[in-house]
Amino acid sequence: MDMLEVDIGTLDSWIEQLFECKQLSELSVKNLCDKASAKEVLMQESNVQPVRCPVTVCGDIHGQFHDLVELFKIGGNSPDTNYLFMGDYVDRGYYSVETVTLLVAMKIRFPERITILRGNHESRQITQVYGFYDECLRKYGNAEVWKHFTDLFDYLPLTALIEEQIFCLHGGLSPSIDTLDHIRSLDRGPMCDLLWSDPDDRCGWGISPRGAGYTFGQDISEAFNHNNGLTLIARAHQLVMEGYNWSQEKNVVTIFSAPNYCYRCGNQAAIMEID
Amino acid sequence: MSEGTSSIQTAANGFVAPRRAILDPKDMPRWQKSSAYTEISGFIEQLSSCVENKLISSDYPVSAHIQAVCQLLDTAESWIKLFPPDTTSSQRFGNRSFRRWEEELRAQAPKLLHQMLPEPAQEAVIELVPYLSESFGNATRIDYGSGHELSFVVWLMCLCKLGFLEPADSAAIVLVVFVRYLQLCQQLQRTYNLEPAGSHGVWGLDDYQFLPFYFGSAQLIGTQTTPAMGLDPGLIAEKASEYLYLQGIRFIMEMKKGPFFEHSRQLYDISGVPRWQKVNQGLGKMYQVEVLGKFPVVQHLVFGSLFSMD
Repeated sequence: MDMLEVDIGTLDSWIEQLFECKQLSELSVKNLCDKASAKEVLMQESNVQPVRCPVTVCGDIHGQFHDLVELFKIGGNSPDTNYLFMGDYVDRGYYSVETVTLLVAMKIRFPERITILRGNHESRQITQVYGFYDECLRKYGNAEVWKHFTDLFDYLPLTALIEEQIFCLHGGLSPSIDTLDHIRSLDRGPMCDLLWSDPDDRCGWGISPRGAGYTFGQDISEAFNHNNGLTLIARAHQLVMEGYNWSQEKNVVTIFSAPNYCYRCGNQAAIMEID
Repeated sequence: MSEGTSSIQTAANGFVAPRRAILDPKDMPRWQKSSAYTEISGFIEQLSSCVENKLISSDYPVSAHIQAVCQLLDTAESWIKLFPPDTTSSQRFGNRSFRRWEEELRAQAPKLLHQMLPEPAQEAVIELVPYLSESFGNATRIDYGSGHELSFVVWLMCLCKLGFLEPADSAAIVLVVFVRYLQLCQQLQRTYNLEPAGSHGVWGLDDYQFLPFYFGSAQLIGTQTTPAMGLDPGLIAEKASEYLYLQGIRFIMEMKKGPFFEHSRQLYDISGVPRWQKVNQGLGKMYQVEVLGKFPVVQHLVFGSLFSMD
């Protein structure tokens, strides 16, 4: 009965406020995460969430709010343009709070128009190390907002599938997963390889220098694409100088949407439009 | 030099190939109670206190062994020319040629350490190689962060425990060796586009380094400058050659685009602290929590007999 205690007018006013880079109050964030049916909306989605064309696919944002606004200017406004974000909304940048609040508010407002996947930074442990926790303490004076969001992160879907052809996820493949059906049956909590793994020049599975996930070679991505009738794996998770990077004979593409990462890297950002 | 060799541990003391021991966040309490933890945090604190109110050009002893360490770093720097950044193939971000530089370091480290150390200490090369090899960044990820900086300081501490460096060398360890190390690191970071592995993003101290700010704040204790002046371009231009802290700020200002308060929030806030003494104390505590106390950073540390978890 109290599924939709937050009405559309309120959501719209929040989105408007957030677009001005003004954070919501602690209470509004609580309502956004708990009462505006955020969890219900996300829970209904599959772990391999089907997505239709046209859609614009985006990589890491990492709290670079002003660059996210620029992304919407270039890619088109939501909901006129459909978006698929592949995780890592928070940490590192100065505006993780504004960034993740905006994306969650947009997801609840236009659930069919925007898909937000989970990245390895959408985690309690990682956000305590890489900045989002610190930012919440600074901006709200306590950890409540961090708690609301990290609780919500557990409900984010892990992967998406565009028109049965392009498999989208934050990190990469896992040696314990061969098929999309396997991912569909996964419990969302414990599956971390999908959020951590990276493609690599070496064949087969390798130990990841990140201390989590694996590296996978072209033989692995080729077999996975072939066995699941896919044409491409789209993923984020790694800084790429041009914003996108084809690898493994175009079996894999990396997309990174945070330009001049950490204010210093001089990289371009990219988004991928699928017609 | 002969005094130094007298205290050197020999092979009878059982040098071993160092191994990882912090494999799980559950291992953190054991690490924080270990002799390794007590020794490295004490070593770093002592290095800070010995450079209080000292300029890089101040008068302090620079022993032959200090010079030998710098020569080793000179040699490592000379390899950058051998492996220029690869511009031929498409790359993700970090330049792959860094892997060749790092490979050379791994290949040459045993020989260089053998040459640098007097005979009885040469037995310890097996323990010293991993710390030196991990000091300049990760070749697979092509990145650099405070964990690599920590590895270098562990290496320096091991040289002290071997008696190769002595208490009298303390000021030179910071103001000669560490300064030289930072120059090399910055050159590697720029040449090969090393990705910042540093934690906390804008809420952390710096993407790459921590200790130049800690040691550097000690240098400024007792001077006429205030932390507020630490961000002043005029002062930086005039004094950066003498102060690690100002060198660190200058490097950030050169490398980063955007408002300083946004990309370097901690350093911006530090400029509001009234005295350098307080800044130095705060950074010392912060190092314990944010570097030595963080599993993602210290999980890569290895332990042998010189730097031991037992």
